[in-house]
Amino acid sequence: MKILYVSVLFTGLCLLQHQASGQLLNKMRQKLENAAEQSVNKALGTDKNTINTSTGTSTSSGSRARNKGGAGLVTTPPDVKENLTDAESKYKAGQYAQSRSALQQAMLGVEMEIGQKILKSLPESIAGLKKNAEADQVTSTGWGWVGLTIQRQYTDGNEKELTTTIANNAVLLSAVNLYLTNGGYSQTTGGKQDWKQTKVKGNKAVIEYDESTGYKLTVPLGQSSMLVYEGVNFKNEAELMAAANAVDIAGIKKMLGEK
Amino acid sequence: MKKIFSLFVICACAHVSLAQDFNKNLTEARSSYAAGNLSNSRFAMEQMLHTLDAAIGKDILKLLPTKMDALTANVKADNTTGTGTNGGLGLYVQRTYGSGAKTATVDIINNSPLITSLNALLSLPFIGRGGDGNQKVIKVQGYKAVLTKTENTDTKKLDYDLQVPLQNTLVTFKVTETQEAEVLRMANTIPLEKIAQMAQ
Repeated sequence: MKILYVSVLFTGLCLLQHQASGQLLNKMRQKLENAAEQSVNKALGTDKNTINTSTGTSTSSGSRARNKGGAGLVTTPPDVKENLTDAESKYKAGQYAQSRSALQQAMLGVEMEIGQKILKSLPESIAGLKKNAEADQVTSTGWGWVGLTIQRQYTDGNEKELTTTIANNAVLLSAVNLYLTNGGYSQTTGGKQDWKQTKVKGNKAVIEYDESTGYKLTVPLGQSSMLVYEGVNFKNEAELMAAANAVDIAGIKKMLGEK
Repeated sequence: MKKIFSLFVICACAHVSLAQDFNKNLTEARSSYAAGNLSNSRFAMEQMLHTLDAAIGKDILKLLPTKMDALTANVKADNTTGTGTNGGLGLYVQRTYGSGAKTATVDIINNSPLITSLNALLSLPFIGRGGDGNQKVIKVQGYKAVLTKTENTDTKKLDYDLQVPLQNTLVTFKVTETQEAEVLRMANTIPLEKIAQMAQ
């Protein structure tokens, strides 16, 4: 009987110990899992604690800092005189590729100056719309007039907008000239006139209308340039034409060296 | 001897003439710029660019081999044009080899509009390998290139076309009635690296 009692007691003790060690193992496993989850969250930047504490500082470990300000770049168009001198010396030394590169910079400099001059010549306001100085643009690829684009936007700060673009693009220009030289083209689509020839200050032009984009008036300037007006929410054709007349087209042609 | 001497004189005269053009236009560009006549200044610079392109073209022609395998260069038909920047094209150089049915042609074009599409082709290798097996991307002197094979419908012989874009310059090498190995052997005699340096 004694032996039976002792063996039952021993078995009970063994079971208790097994249960205790199982609980201990479970706790350890839980702790390990938590630690692993936290480290993964930290690495991914999704840790709740980190997010909560880092709100307002905007830098959480592992993520990149965001730029909040800076003076930007200083506008420095290429120096024309300096680049011409460089092109000359490189040419004399027989370094044609370097001379070419300097010359292209000089050309870029001149084009940027022309662009700025044209922007200055444009009115401060057209048809009650004020210029949006922030949107002024002069871009050039330095590959001849092909890439020169000068853009000015006028807006009433609401829905009405006029964009004037002076661009040099021989391909586009030839397409417009095709319209102008072939007066026999059908000018109606489904009984509705979407585009037609017109004149702006004595210059032949093409005016188009599209329900979603509004009015577009294209005026070829000489051999390789053109002036494009895009009017959004203009009442009618007459209003756009009046706005177009506010631009000194002859002056622009002169500045671009166009006849 | 007389011929060599006259060729030398012609080359010297051409160089002097180019230099005169360059200097004349440089003076014009400077004076117009100083006077605020920017469009005139720009036009004079464009003329200078034309002169420079022509000079670069002549230098590139000197680099090209005078013979490719059995094909002799048609030096008299050498073509070099500096278009300034009108139309986006700059330098253009061409040399042909051979006079019979089998010929080779090297064309070098600066600012070619084809370069963008070719570079796209080279950066996406799965596009570069044409499904019909007539086009593939290869390397020539370390430069990626597109090799295109066409069969002449009359003679049933093969013509090859190798296009190597070098930054903003495109070198095109065409050989008629040939085999791939021969095209590659000939292409390796074109000094691509030097051309890239001069034409860019």
